[in-house]
Amino acid sequence: MNDISIHPSAGDIVALRGVDLSLGRGAARVHILRQIDLNIGRGEAVALLGPSGSGKSTLLMVMTGLERPDTGTVMVAGQDLRILDEDSLARFRGKNVGIVFQAFHLIPTMTALENVAVPLEFAGERDALARAEQELAAVGLAKRLHHYPAELSGGEQQRVALARALAPNPAILVADEPTGNLDEATGHEIIELLFRGHRERGTTLVLVTHDTDLAARCDRVLHLHSGQIDRQTSSVEAIAR
Amino acid sequence: MTALADTGIVSRNNAASGGTAQLALRYAWRELRGGLHGFGVFIVCIALGVFAIAGVGSVAASLADGIGSAGQLLLGGDLSFSLIQREATEAERSFMDAHGALSVISLTRAMARTSDGRSTLVEVKAVDSAYPLFGAVVTDPQLRLDKLFTQNNSAFGAAVDPALLTRLDLKVGDRITIGNATIELRAALTGEPDKLTGGIGLGPRLLISDAALQASGLIQPGSLVRRVYRLRLPDSGTSDRAVTPVEKEAQTTFPDAGWEVRTRSKATPQLERNVERFTQFLTLVGLTTLLVGGVGVANAVSAHLARKRDAIATMKALGATGGSVFAIYCAQMLLVALFGAVIGAALGALLPYIVSWAFGAIIPFPVAPSLHPGVLVLSVFYGLLTALAFALWPLGRAHDISVSMLFRDQIAAERHWPRKHYVLATVVIAAILAAVAVQTTYDHRIAAIFIAAAVGVFVLLRLVAILTMWVARRLPRQGSTILRLAIANIHRPGSLTPTVILSLGLGLALLMTVIEIDGNLNREFTAALPEKAPSFFFLDIPATDASRFDVFVHDRAPASMLDRVPMLRGRIVAANGIRAEDLKAAPGSRWVLQGDRGITFSSMVPAGSRIVAGNWWGPDYSGEPLVSLESKTAEDLNLKIGEPITVNVLGRNVNAKIANLRAVDWENLGINFVLVFSPGTFSGAPHSDIATLTFADGGNNAEETAIIKALGDAFPNVTAVRVKDTLDTLDGIINKLVLALGGASSITLIAAAFVLGGALAASQRFRIYDAVVLKTYGATRARLLAAYALEYLFIGLISVVFGVAMGSIAAALIVTRVMEFPFTWVAGQAGAAAFTALAVTVVFGLAGTFTALGRKPAEVLRNL
Repeated sequence: MNDISIHPSAGDIVALRGVDLSLGRGAARVHILRQIDLNIGRGEAVALLGPSGSGKSTLLMVMTGLERPDTGTVMVAGQDLRILDEDSLARFRGKNVGIVFQAFHLIPTMTALENVAVPLEFAGERDALARAEQELAAVGLAKRLHHYPAELSGGEQQRVALARALAPNPAILVADEPTGNLDEATGHEIIELLFRGHRERGTTLVLVTHDTDLAARCDRVLHLHSGQIDRQTSSVEAIAR
Repeated sequence: MTALADTGIVSRNNAASGGTAQLALRYAWRELRGGLHGFGVFIVCIALGVFAIAGVGSVAASLADGIGSAGQLLLGGDLSFSLIQREATEAERSFMDAHGALSVISLTRAMARTSDGRSTLVEVKAVDSAYPLFGAVVTDPQLRLDKLFTQNNSAFGAAVDPALLTRLDLKVGDRITIGNATIELRAALTGEPDKLTGGIGLGPRLLISDAALQASGLIQPGSLVRRVYRLRLPDSGTSDRAVTPVEKEAQTTFPDAGWEVRTRSKATPQLERNVERFTQFLTLVGLTTLLVGGVGVANAVSAHLARKRDAIATMKALGATGGSVFAIYCAQMLLVALFGAVIGAALGALLPYIVSWAFGAIIPFPVAPSLHPGVLVLSVFYGLLTALAFALWPLGRAHDISVSMLFRDQIAAERHWPRKHYVLATVVIAAILAAVAVQTTYDHRIAAIFIAAAVGVFVLLRLVAILTMWVARRLPRQGSTILRLAIANIHRPGSLTPTVILSLGLGLALLMTVIEIDGNLNREFTAALPEKAPSFFFLDIPATDASRFDVFVHDRAPASMLDRVPMLRGRIVAANGIRAEDLKAAPGSRWVLQGDRGITFSSMVPAGSRIVAGNWWGPDYSGEPLVSLESKTAEDLNLKIGEPITVNVLGRNVNAKIANLRAVDWENLGINFVLVFSPGTFSGAPHSDIATLTFADGGNNAEETAIIKALGDAFPNVTAVRVKDTLDTLDGIINKLVLALGGASSITLIAAAFVLGGALAASQRFRIYDAVVLKTYGATRARLLAAYALEYLFIGLISVVFGVAMGSIAAALIVTRVMEFPFTWVAGQAGAAAFTALAVTVVFGLAGTFTALGRKPAEVLRNL
């Protein structure tokens, strides 16, 4: 059993029980997650560390409802994700989950402002563009509102992506190697913004990374190996290692 | 529920559903701001199809407008009363005189003979001094009609179609004889305001005075003369409504007149019907262009969505539902389709103006070019529905694009079938498209058959494409790299095979159908003719002179076969107690009820007919009038043995009971009648005979010329219609129609070429990758070129073989089942079209691949 909750409580924003997931068919079927039990508290910052293929991104996808486990339960923000159909899951994500991708994934035909407004517009928010403008100002891009992704640097693009993820004030913010495509200095700026968003909004942060220093900034570090959480450390322990 | 509300799922559901359309349009527009890159083929495909439909519709409507607005001119009056074989009675004439100014013209056919014995058939039009009531006759030199017709030195004046001058090698000032009258050709006839009301002329027009016709002696009891009384109402020009009361009064005052009454608002119903019928075929060809273009649309939408996979997955990660994604891209596709359709409709709207400007002088119909919003809206509607029908499938797949592709490289296998409701929607849209096409065309049955055939060919070609790829996949491994690459390209995912086979095959099948029908019509009219067709029809043989005529012919052509029967003209006024205008007839037999028809009486079953139901009356039958009806007509009019038919002959209604049904072999070009009455039905009615003359060996020019010359001397009033000349005239008309159909069908091939171009552009990325990798490992450009050429040749060949086969089968079915004559595969043009299609595939393909061959490996590999 991989019960990694330190403080299981009603305040948990994420609660996974017995999550098991295999992908592919026949001989190509790979067992990716094995009997994962995990609780993450509201406002907590958790890092997922592990080698490539250990199941970090897949665990992130299960938490965000992008992947359905073969077995087990997934409760996020008090919602059992198993009972939601695909469209309900999409709406759930739009309101409760902010995602920052390694490759930014901005929509190239939309300006920075429009990109940030996307989750708000899908949620039916009337002041989507005004709120998007505030979010962009908060990440220092007040003067780049009407630029298209191709007209922005990598760092600026990731800031737009971060503003987009934070715009709906999600209960949980997940970031998949957010600095993987950036140079060190720019990556540092993004991380600062990410943690600032987490602190100031009280958003739960789940971060996938290979960077132990970055992981050490989180409250907890979960070490994944072959689809299992084989141990967890506090940030102090992680630094020590 | 609380949990759901907390997470925003319920509240958002409501909000989102309210604004989905608005949101979809906003997002669609955002993407399109950057331009229409990647939609070129999509737009061209829709624009071409819509252009074909809008253009054909606009030209037809402009033609109808032209004909409609020139009603008085074309009809030669506000009303016309047409009588066959008789003049108006005193009472009828008084009625017409009382309602306005009257002009009478007489139309008949006669032989024009030169002093040295040459002769030809002419369409005689004899007019009175009031002619024309509307418009003006144009002659060269321009002469006043009274001066033109004046009798000088026993010769009457005439204006003549320049074609007659050429045919008989005459010039203005020369003389000819018509019957017993000498006619001086004083001018060439270049403009006749009421020309169109005469229908198709079998010979050139000769315009003479009424006095000249009387002097010719052509008018004998029972002669086939049509007299048309044209009436100009006193308040003419004020309103069409003034015409209707006079028409009604005429019909109620003289219910048995048997005349054909036309008004200026329906001056040329037959021409209008023909325009409508021809428009229908061209519209269906336009729809086929859309069907071919639809393949390009589907490809373009698939390629576009493939490029947008990341964006779609991102939107879904940010809260967009599959339905929202579908709505956004469907809205985008509809906006692009609307753009293409509007371009097509705009070009189509211009077509009547271009036609009028470029060909106005030579088109024998008045064209009134104008905008026809109804036609344009319908064509845009067709364009949008087609785009939707073809785009729904790939759009439906976009619903299920997975967000997980943003996290990991490996992509889950794409679903091949979209969700059920998208499949259902595709079927529904296609059904609506077909229903609209059938409903808005002239002949629903033919339109339905055409659409069913087009869909059938489409499905068959799709299966051929699947089979081709399946076979290519299972071929044994080839030793030659070039061959291996070519075969791999035929079956790999994203291959050109389905696109080319579908679009090129469909376009070619349509063109081949037209070509083969044309070839068979030509063959039937020319090559097959001598074996069975008579050489001459003789009209207006006086019944009293019939025996002398028989002797005359047998003396001069002893080995020939003469078939002579009495003929009257009559119109069906009622059948089984239902008035003719209220009878519901299948389209194929409507002509039987339109105007007057030739009828005969006989004691024997006519040659070329056989009884299929009921019994023929005995040779000595003298009881109540009976009639034998052609079986197909009986079926189309829903008439059965024992039911009565009323026919108006010479102003008298004659009732007869249907005694039997006959199958008629129309093909033999002999004397065939829909209605054959029992002897004695028309006793006392003046009539003339009609005869056919068939030479034993098919006849030659010398024999035919000799008999016409001799006939002119012995029977100046008998008209000889040379079958070869008539068929040449008809063949000329058919050739023009086929040329128009062929031209329209070629648009489908242009669309097919664009579809091919689009598919090549879409596969360019794979081809560049292949070319670069192969070049890296030593492949030369020549070898790559050979591999690509082989690939295009294989696919092109399969498309051509099946396109030709399906087109030929369709043509064979139409020729044997609808036109009812034997089908022979005509190679010539078919081979040329097939070769062109194949060449286009290979040349277009190689041209499209040239970029791939030119790329330097290093520059591409760096960016892989």
